[in-house]
Amino acid sequence: MHVRGYIGIFGALLVLTLVTVGVSYLQLPTVPTIVLGLAIASAKATLVVLFFMHLKTERAMVYWPLALTVFLFAMLFAFTLWTEMDHITL
Amino acid sequence: MHIPYTTDVRPDTGLTNPKLGIWLFLASEVMLFGSLFSAYALLRSGSVSWPDQSAVLSVPFATLNTVILISSSITMVLAWVGAKSGELPRFRLYMGLTLLLGAAFLAVKAIEYNDKFSHGLLPSTDNFLGLYFTMTGVHAIHVLAGMVVNAYLLGPGSGMFRTDPARFTNRVEIAGIYWHFVDVVWIFLFPVLYLL
Repeated sequence: MHVRGYIGIFGALLVLTLVTVGVSYLQLPTVPTIVLGLAIASAKATLVVLFFMHLKTERAMVYWPLALTVFLFAMLFAFTLWTEMDHITL
Repeated sequence: MHIPYTTDVRPDTGLTNPKLGIWLFLASEVMLFGSLFSAYALLRSGSVSWPDQSAVLSVPFATLNTVILISSSITMVLAWVGAKSGELPRFRLYMGLTLLLGAAFLAVKAIEYNDKFSHGLLPSTDNFLGLYFTMTGVHAIHVLAGMVVNAYLLGPGSGMFRTDPARFTNRVEIAGIYWHFVDVVWIFLFPVLYLL
């Protein structure tokens, strides 16, 4: 990727930061606030990981341990929140 | 001592050893921060009431720090581009900027902490502030660790640019992958602790 491409990603990250702060001032209900906030953060993280950390052009040997990590990360949340499922109030 | 596969790709993994090493390390880091984020999710979802986070913390300070850390990511990439294209002054300029931005991030964080302490808001005040100080504190230690590595590459470590430029460029890339990970953690800490 050329420098211009990296600068483009940087610009997108700045715009998404402004969007996420702007959305927070709308005082939306809790659930949309959480969903939108995490969705924008995930989009930003994806840009950083794919392009700045070069994951887009990485080898399979990097993808497999990361896939396992994503699974374990999801389980960490699933089991934790499972214990709260009967009385979560948003 | 000769360390194998620092620049040559190891045939069975298809990667250099440092590349595989940093990603395995970051996998463990994902679980470290995962434990903190899941603790946050558990304590918040299980609580009867939760403070209005954006009223307790300063969103403008955190937004400024987000911009600072994202900027430090692009300067880190440009430092790597400089090393890769054999331009030492360009590497030095952008690595120096990356270090300065890291220091600026920690300075803003220190101002924020000081502001909380002066208003009697301590980690022991409530669950939210306990989580806030723990999560941002662990993150700040990671920023500091990245700055130590970056300072080494900018200072004493830059001698390798002349003796073994390919290996030096790889070191910068690996340090960069770590630095961007620290940025990614903040990208999630910002909305979770300040905006949601």
